[in-house]
Amino acid sequence: MAKREPSINTENFTAVQLMELDSCSRCGECVNWCPTYDASGEDPGLAPRDKILRWREYMNKSYGLRARLFGPKQISEEEIEEFKDDVYGCTTCGMCATVCESAINTVELWESMRANLVKRGNGPFGKQSAFLKLIGEYKNPYMEDNANRVNWLPEDVKVEDEAEILYFGGCTAELKQRKLALATTRLLNKLDIKFTMLGEDEICCGSALIRTGQYFINDTAKENAQKNIDNIKARGAKIVLYACAGCFRASLIDWPRLTGKELPFKVMHITEYLQGLIEKGEIKWEKSIDKKVTYHDPCHLGRHVGVFEPPRAVLEAIPGIEFIEMERIEENQRCCGAGGGVKAGIPDLALGVASTRVDDALATEADLLSSACPFCKRNLSDGRDAVGAKDLEVEDVVVLAAEAMGIDLSDTPK
Amino acid sequence: MSMEYFAGISDALRLTFVQVMILANLSIGIFLIGMYINLKKWGMGSTGYGLEPSGSIFAFPKMLAYQMSEHAHIHNQSVLETFFLDILFQRRILQRSPLRWFMHFTIFFGWMALFALSLAMFLVEMIFLIGEEVGYAHSLPEFLEPVVFRELLAVPNDVFSYILLVGIVIAIYRRLFMTKVREATIAYDSILLIGLTVITITGFVADGIRTGRFWGFDMPIEYAPPAALFHVVISLLFCIAYIPFSKYIHMIAIPLALLANKGGE
Ligand code: HEM
Ligand code: SF4
Ligand code: SF4
Repeated sequence: MAKREPSINTENFTAVQLMELDSCSRCGECVNWCPTYDASGEDPGLAPRDKILRWREYMNKSYGLRARLFGPKQISEEEIEEFKDDVYGCTTCGMCATVCESAINTVELWESMRANLVKRGNGPFGKQSAFLKLIGEYKNPYMEDNANRVNWLPEDVKVEDEAEILYFGGCTAELKQRKLALATTRLLNKLDIKFTMLGEDEICCGSALIRTGQYFINDTAKENAQKNIDNIKARGAKIVLYACAGCFRASLIDWPRLTGKELPFKVMHITEYLQGLIEKGEIKWEKSIDKKVTYHDPCHLGRHVGVFEPPRAVLEAIPGIEFIEMERIEENQRCCGAGGGVKAGIPDLALGVASTRVDDALATEADLLSSACPFCKRNLSDGRDAVGAKDLEVEDVVVLAAEAMGIDLSDTPK
Repeated sequence: MSMEYFAGISDALRLTFVQVMILANLSIGIFLIGMYINLKKWGMGSTGYGLEPSGSIFAFPKMLAYQMSEHAHIHNQSVLETFFLDILFQRRILQRSPLRWFMHFTIFFGWMALFALSLAMFLVEMIFLIGEEVGYAHSLPEFLEPVVFRELLAVPNDVFSYILLVGIVIAIYRRLFMTKVREATIAYDSILLIGLTVITITGFVADGIRTGRFWGFDMPIEYAPPAALFHVVISLLFCIAYIPFSKYIHMIAIPLALLANKGGE
């Protein structure tokens, strides 16, 4: 009996995930809904069903009946490389999991495949491999001095050293989309809510590393999560607010999993927090926003953790807004295309998906496409530019709320 | 439509019964070995996210139990809800497509019912045969006599066979005539459907020859025993032994996935 080594291994898969490979009934629902498969011009390799099929075959070639009797069957390196490329052509949007007739937790499966392939030496994809070095070195993926996270906040913004509420700004809002961070801080100030921030001590939430399968390397993601948790605790926070869907999802689901402990504080998306205040009548609106507004559910806020209602409640409370839904919303929402490392790894694909989503918004004849995640905003803006929809504004729900509260954001630094 | 013709007619047929017994045990044996290999394969995974693979045969049940006890962030539904609505009623298929749900539910329901009826018939045959050997056969209640029991099952057998057939016809239609489905069909899919079709049709034919009805196509009655035997043999091999090695595994793996993920996202 030939005793060759199997070409693949099962590192980073749980036993249930390996079973899930056998539970795909090949119904094809995931293929109908996958945004990257669609935007790629139906590249068969990107179809979720096909990825499951291929890994199942790899498993059977390596550990199935025949492999046990006659030794494993080899899988060529080119084939595995190609598979790697395909498994990174996914935004981890979770649409396939929502529609899967077999209830397979596909997103976790893609992330395990990625981690497995990174460990094997195949992944990640293109520019994504820089994340690890950048986050290790700069504590953010944008190569910015970590002090720049908050040192730009204008004089008037008051951030406590310690408080029961902490705003976890996130790399993208603090370093790239400062209007959102400014809106959030000024909004909390205006409501007389004392809050603190981690400032220079904040480290990337780990989303970029986790989604691209690099979280286990040197335990970087786990250590960073623990440091963030310790620092948040040290500031006396009981509630941590997020205006970024990616950080929120990472904190709520990934941090406890990485550290093996429950979080010692409550995490909330800012729209959930605002909804509570609106219901208590504690928000005074000063300005009317007379626009037709639609809302894009960020995958990591909606499908992944179930926050659908709060951003809508905020929009509907803002005076003047005529709220209109797109066709695909909530569980069935169409991804913006940015997530899962696709924006960094395969920007063309990200743009293709975004353009389709912008078309969804245009179909409603809305003036403004809102979302509740800086990453979605960035990619939807790019999509808007790509389809040339000059008149469509793209803005975050929190920014709209701040403006309606009479907060001026025109002094946002670049 | 399966074992009914064995009912103590002649010694020659009794021999067949012994053969079928052996085959049944063999099928169950192959099934168990296959499931053991699958459990070993699944057990190559870890018992927690980010943990090292354990390689233990218990890794799968452990991880399953862990996931079932873990609090889910959305849809934290109960095991009962999952069992009745998602596994038995197959709500997730219905949510996606009523037609496909109808197709599958008829296959599922027809198959399960026929499986149960065949099993019951088989048990009655056994009780009777052993009874003849040991000498209690004459004291069995009348409905436990194979000839009588077979008649009792005749109508339900017919009904469920037609229910199964309806589902199969829809499935075949989809696989043959809907471009998108046809193009995505691989051997893994077609083997399951072809096998099921052959079993269903041979069941109808065997029954038809015996009863002289339509499905017998006027074949002489002597063909009844071999036709039925053929049906039984492929049923056992295909519907039991082949489960762990084919798309049939979905009838075990999907309920497990539904349980592990609390009915899914
Ligand atoms: C609890 C048990 C089961 C569940 C949850 C389940 C689920 C599924 C699902 C989701 C599909 C895909 C349907 C589609 O194409 O939309 C499927 C296909 C299929 N199932 Fe099941 N199934 C179960 C048990 C069974 C049983 C007992 C049989 C009996 C033979 C069966 C036979 C089939 C067949 C033949 C197909 C393929 C249909 C085709 O080729 O288009 N299933 N099953
Ligand atoms: S998570 Fe989204 S992008 Fe990835 S395979 Fe599933 S549907 Fe496609
Ligand atoms: S939706 Fe689920 S069961 Fe259907 S083909 Fe996709 S992964 Fe397989």
